Amino acid sequence: MVEMTRLQAVRSVLNTLSDELLVVTTGFLSRDVFCLGDRKENFYMCGSMGNAYPIGIGIALNTPKRNVVVLSGDGAALMSLGSLALGNSLKLPNLRHVIIDNGKYVSTGGQPTCSDGIDFSQFHNTQVINVTSDETASPRITLNPVEMADRFRSCCK
Amino acid sequence: MTYNECKAQGFDFIVGVPCSSLKVFIECLRQDEAMRYVPVQREDTAVALAVGAFFAGKKPLVFMQNSGLGHIVNIVSSLLIPYDIPLHFLVTMREQPFEHEHMFAITKPLLSLLGIESRTFLINAASHG
Repeated sequence: MVEMTRLQAVRSVLNTLSDELLVVTTGFLSRDVFCLGDRKENFYMCGSMGNAYPIGIGIALNTPKRNVVVLSGDGAALMSLGSLALGNSLKLPNLRHVIIDNGKYVSTGGQPTCSDGIDFSQFHNTQVINVTSDETASPRITLNPVEMADRFRSCCK
Repeated sequence: MTYNECKAQGFDFIVGVPCSSLKVFIECLRQDEAMRYVPVQREDTAVALAVGAFFAGKKPLVFMQNSGLGHIVNIVSSLLIPYDIPLHFLVTMREQPFEHEHMFAITKPLLSLLGIESRTFLINAASHG
């Protein structure tokens, strides 16, 4: 396996996208995606950690003709494990989950998570990218949240 | 208020965590061929699904027992409010036995603190209408 940094992993995910709707988790990953490849089909969920994947489920259930990608970190995925079980139960063909796993809560100072206690790849349409430690922070998102939500919502229709 | 009266208000995506007071309501939802019943495991996850449905153009309703209200404090404060995402909630008011007493006392103040306007009504627990 090729070892990647977090930013390399984010770039590799963005390179696979065409018109997919993308929901990005709290913390550095949203900031990384905003800086590396902002597009109107991106929703940056800056708060409510753990809820990016179930937002993706809600979109995918109601837009069967659109492909939805959720980008999570290991800490966020662990925070709503029940929603991963729900994803396994629903098996939505138009929903893909990419989990960037560094085994840490990087944006709060690199404290360890317990991601070594779970195999995320057992879940539906889930790709796990293990990354080496990369604590470089991308600049904060400058979009107005209400305008960003409106922009994203108009792409979902 | 019955399931059909609720649906008549335009809700086209109904998701939540079960409460025994909503047994009949949920049974109607499960039998409604126009709806898909999604077995969500926690209240904030139900809110997140509803947010996704809202993005997809739906008018969602989230149901839960008041005991689960604590689980939505973060998603209401850090997602619904700053992103201005409008959702409707159906929250049952369990009062007894003892483990419900304190949450019953603080349910309406908590909704108010969260910036959620509320009104109380009787749910027709027996009617399938």
